[in-house]
Amino acid sequence: MVAVQVIVGGLLLGAVYALFSSGLTLIWGMMNFINFAHGEFVMLGMYVALMVVVWLHGGPVIFGIAAAVALCALGIAIYFSLIRHVIRGPMLAQILSTFGLALLLRYSAFYIFSANFVSLPQNSMSGTLNLAGIYLPVAQLVAGAVAIFLTMSLHMLLTRTTVGSKLLAVAEDRTAAMLMGIRPDRMQALAWGLSAGAAGIAGALMATAYPWSPSVGETFGLIAFVVVALGGFGSVLGSLYAGLIIGLIQAVSAYWLGAIYKDIVVYGLFVALLWFRPQGLMGKA
Amino acid sequence: MLLEAQNVSKAFGSFRAVAGADLAVEEGEIIGLIGPNGAGKSTFFNCIAGDTLPTTGRIIFDGQDVTRASPEAHARAGIGRTFQVPATFQDMTVLDNVMVGAFLRHSHRNDARDHARQIVELTGLRPDQPGRSLGTPGRKRLGIARVLATGPRLLLLDESLAGLTPTELQEAIALVRRIHAMGITIVIVEHIMEVIMTLTKRVLVFNQGHVIASGTPEAVVRDEAVIEAYLGRAHRRPPPVPPPQAGEG
Amino acid sequence: MKRILSPLGRLILPHLRGRIGWALLAAGLLLYPLVFTGAFYRDVGVTFLLAAISASAWNIVGGYAGQVSVGHSMFFGLGAYTPLLFYSLWGWSPMAGIPAGIALSIALAVVIGMPTFRLTGHYFSMATIAVAELIRIFTSTWTFVGAAIGLQGPATARGWWDLTFRGELPYYYIFLAVLGVVLFTTAAIERRRFGFYLRAIKSSERAARSLGVPVRRTKMQALALSAAFTSVAGSLYVTKTGFIDPDSGFGILISVQMVIVAALGGAGLLFGPLLGAAILIPLQTATNSWFGGGGSGLTYILYGGIIVVIARFEPGGLLELWHRVVPERWRRAYAA
Repeated sequence: MVAVQVIVGGLLLGAVYALFSSGLTLIWGMMNFINFAHGEFVMLGMYVALMVVVWLHGGPVIFGIAAAVALCALGIAIYFSLIRHVIRGPMLAQILSTFGLALLLRYSAFYIFSANFVSLPQNSMSGTLNLAGIYLPVAQLVAGAVAIFLTMSLHMLLTRTTVGSKLLAVAEDRTAAMLMGIRPDRMQALAWGLSAGAAGIAGALMATAYPWSPSVGETFGLIAFVVVALGGFGSVLGSLYAGLIIGLIQAVSAYWLGAIYKDIVVYGLFVALLWFRPQGLMGKA
Repeated sequence: MLLEAQNVSKAFGSFRAVAGADLAVEEGEIIGLIGPNGAGKSTFFNCIAGDTLPTTGRIIFDGQDVTRASPEAHARAGIGRTFQVPATFQDMTVLDNVMVGAFLRHSHRNDARDHARQIVELTGLRPDQPGRSLGTPGRKRLGIARVLATGPRLLLLDESLAGLTPTELQEAIALVRRIHAMGITIVIVEHIMEVIMTLTKRVLVFNQGHVIASGTPEAVVRDEAVIEAYLGRAHRRPPPVPPPQAGEG
Repeated sequence: MKRILSPLGRLILPHLRGRIGWALLAAGLLLYPLVFTGAFYRDVGVTFLLAAISASAWNIVGGYAGQVSVGHSMFFGLGAYTPLLFYSLWGWSPMAGIPAGIALSIALAVVIGMPTFRLTGHYFSMATIAVAELIRIFTSTWTFVGAAIGLQGPATARGWWDLTFRGELPYYYIFLAVLGVVLFTTAAIERRRFGFYLRAIKSSERAARSLGVPVRRTKMQALALSAAFTSVAGSLYVTKTGFIDPDSGFGILISVQMVIVAALGGAGLLFGPLLGAAILIPLQTATNSWFGGGGSGLTYILYGGIIVVIARFEPGGLLELWHRVVPERWRRAYAA
């Protein structure tokens, strides 16, 4: 029974991993660019949720939307002020740009919010459900379900809508897209907005179920790398599968080997992937 | 036979970019590869140059099988290539750029530098000019100079003469002639007919992955299949009208 | 007389001008702790040297070859742990651990480089950050190396070989000597084929490959060399502090400092890291003391901001800015 609980818990968390990782993979697929600050976007989403709850007494729906909107705006702003300029420059500038941004966001958060772990106060999602002998916190269940839904929605958006095809067109061939009347700049900004928004809302979802501090950004960033590497750079669907798998592996490692080993296993998996299958499950290297 | 390509094919998924192309180049020749866009000549060129792995077929250079050899190995073996869009080493001077090529055969800096200086002079560039300050013609010339410094026996020019003014084009053609006079075998992929007509002795025409014609530039230009490939069926010349016989009329 | 002297002068002076700059720098560095004798100033000097060594080591692979490692602390940490490990286990002089640290670092460099150097640069950067973090967490759980508590070195020196000195002065000159070795090696590389190949790879791997440059092997060699020097920096660090734990050995902030010091001064330039260290170490010392406890938090916000600004406006760093802004004539007049 405990085993099943561990597995389900891992999958639910993995679903949230899938959600924020799909944002990272979107940017990679579109612009061949790795956002080292992506984990910080998730972390900020968590704090936005906290602020909405504490100051506005908003419920889950409100802070979820707030996190999505706030981070979406941040993503677009970052694209226009920073990314757009470094993307055409040397590799050093590209990597330093988001790496520096990660530091800036992380330590600003440490400064403003302190390093203490926090969690959301009691809300409509507190409490535990008993499903056939498995005890699941409601928040984890809702977070996982919503995350899967949103990830699938993102996938649908990219593959079934006009906007989606425009995004993919720019990803495939920027010049050709321009010749067809698509504005690559706008599409890339949109991609950044979607990416950051996905991270933000994933953060808000996790905030309902797990405590956090500014330090989690670094961990989430690395997890996103692993998920994207496993699922294939550029594939949202791949992120979904990979996210679930990573969540599962993490939960099982924590259960078998001890909580401290859960990250070691995941990072170790990343190194192994780089060695043996950099293109991941479903993507192109 | 310096270079031989046997039955080379390249397929991307189900799309056959090159289908069973053959090429034989003797030492000292200048060969042209032409064809409409998408005909497969660039893919074939990349197979010979080692940047694309052919799906089938073999490429033999001076008795060595180089089909699967890396670009570095190609350079070491004596096959040099230029790129349509040359990637200049921006942070280095012209001389330093060429030295990178020279270091392939001269491991000592002073030897490499002397050799590079000779090449720079040959190509008419200024050694101390920063790489980033070159315009298009300069960059193309630098691309040629760089690969020349690697001491190739076979030089593959990938549309290196495109985008030049008429004067620049004449200079470039003269440069290619000088290179050829040094004993280097040359294969050119080009769209500019003047280059093909004046420089090459033999031309291969590609269309839809196949070699559809081969021969001297003059012959190939009048070939029916070639005209059809470039201009379409409607432009096929009508059969020649016999001249009126004397005494009729 | 004049007719003999002036052609001589024309021969000698240009050489001297270049050498004068070097000589002044060397003299300044050598005399610094003798002029500024206070413990505080000497301590800043030692910190400066250590930062310059680490950043110069990073510079070889990150600045010259353009392979941006953001996890270089893994090599630093290996070089820091092995001396104290040898001491804790067998009572050996920490110096015995230094070659082991170098060997381990080179091995780790190969493990990381082999798969990632055939892919685009992003993979390498991601791998460095993941592996550094992996090692840090692993070390904090492994009791053999002291787990989260870490390791300690000799409290008092049993002899000179323990490298545990009471004053700052010996450390200063040892570190200075090592810095000299790193800079000398880098300068030697710059002039030779290896240096040309590194810069070509940084500019365009595709073009480099087409000219016969063995790209993967060259990147690997640069990383191994960089790793070895970084390991030595870590070893030097522990001889001075006599203590190491997972965060001070493998923490991300160590990697960050290396990158920012090199990038601020000028990545890919010989004296870039030195300039960066000369600016950042005094700055860091000042902000740490101004803001007291909260100082380090603000310091890293500042670091993040500086890195972003460098990336956005002048990836070549301050030296590059100097080269662009100061007109040719002036520069030749002042050139070292």
